[in-house]
Amino acid sequence: MRLRLVYPMLLILCLAGFPAWAAEPLAVVTAPDYPLSSLSLDDLKLIYLRKSQMDAEGKRWIPLNLPATDPLRRDFSRALFSLLPEEQEEYWNIQYFNGISPPKVMASEEAILRFVASTNGAIGYVRKQKVDPRVKVLLLITPFPPN
Amino acid sequence: MRAIFPAYLLALIIALAPTSVLATDDVEGAYRLGGGYALGDTGLRLGGYASTEIDVPRTAPWHFSLSDLSLFLTWDNGSRLHFFSELEAGDLLSAGEDESLGVQNVHFEFERCYLDTLVNNNLTVRVGKFLSPIGQWNIIHAAPLVWTTSRPVATENLFSTHATGLMLHGSVNVAQHLLEYSVYGDASETFEAHRSNNPFENAFGAHVRYYLTDSLQLGATYANFVLNDLQPIRYNLAGLDLAWSYQRYELSSEIVYRTTHHTTVENTWQGFIQGVAPISQQWFVIGRYEYFGQTQADAGQIGLLGLAYRPLPPVILKLEYRLGEHNEVLAPDGLSASFAILF
Repeated sequence: MRLRLVYPMLLILCLAGFPAWAAEPLAVVTAPDYPLSSLSLDDLKLIYLRKSQMDAEGKRWIPLNLPATDPLRRDFSRALFSLLPEEQEEYWNIQYFNGISPPKVMASEEAILRFVASTNGAIGYVRKQKVDPRVKVLLLITPFPPN
Repeated sequence: MRAIFPAYLLALIIALAPTSVLATDDVEGAYRLGGGYALGDTGLRLGGYASTEIDVPRTAPWHFSLSDLSLFLTWDNGSRLHFFSELEAGDLLSAGEDESLGVQNVHFEFERCYLDTLVNNNLTVRVGKFLSPIGQWNIIHAAPLVWTTSRPVATENLFSTHATGLMLHGSVNVAQHLLEYSVYGDASETFEAHRSNNPFENAFGAHVRYYLTDSLQLGATYANFVLNDLQPIRYNLAGLDLAWSYQRYELSSEIVYRTTHHTTVENTWQGFIQGVAPISQQWFVIGRYEYFGQTQADAGQIGLLGLAYRPLPPVILKLEYRLGEHNEVLAPDGLSASFAILF
């Protein structure tokens, strides 16, 4: 009889010690009329490193980021590069020396949605639940669990 | 065309190119340390870097200088055209054991000035003056981006660090990995009015860099050029370079081999290997070994031990000691310290 109580209590204690990881996927979005319908993670990585500057149609990519402290940006950065934004600063210093600027930083997911919807070639990311008809999803990314 | 006039060129491309309309929800201020100053939505960005250094050779007088003040002007409005120029004031202020503080050694030079045209995602055409794509160090040689005050001999001694002419560059996917390439032809004699130190008379060459992983890159260089030291001599140069990083540890190496048919000049090897290890969040220790063949002396060797403090990514303070043999001319024994900032 006592064991019946002990096991559920142990289970509750274990769960309390290890909070559940239920990350929501990130949706990579462009304008609805954009010719592409999907994108690979490798291609996305090159776009966000500014190594890929044009799409197949010859239009310039305009990658968008959230501020470096935003949890969504940090999830995106770890999922794409296995690095946090501050760990990429050396890379961006070198690119700056070669005249290349990092992705534009937008204030919020709503700002990304507005910019993407109205700018050809713009590409950004928002939480999946924020996606609305103003944009089209090219890729879903599942963030890594935090360390 | 005898000279490049960046201001006129820039005015022309701004006038001709379409301007993209950008929304204003971005949160970046106009200025960012290590990122320059953006002039509104014009696509223009101003920035640069500065460095100051003091050298205390073991057997020669000490010397201090505001060694570099470089100003970048970038223009990229989202079209296929992209302009970049770097105007450098060297030795802006200098002093030494036998020299009072002054501007007597100052010199100005357009280090780089080019227009890129993006043809497609794999090909960009560059016209103007650019850094010779030989190895890795020469392409990112700015003081805030490298770990030591002194530059490895192999990264500048056997070739011109700049070329003026036409370059095709870009990247392609090879066996699921990125391959960056650049192929160029130089005609410095024709196009560069204010010529750099020891420029190519004419040259052609190529460099490729293969990304085996995100943290391991291998590069290969070939160049054929004429240098005019005492007389014009044509050379062939081949090189290999490697860069590896793991977390904040780094290992890099470059070797170059230069040959010529000229009977009075020997074929020459030069190279270095450098390791960087973090000792705390902002402090790093650097070790380097260099070997360099010389035309007028026995081959030199150097060991370097250095310390670097990087309080912010665009700011670095460096201290190093260099010791070697047959190195008196190119890289003498002694202490060097410097401060550099990317602004």
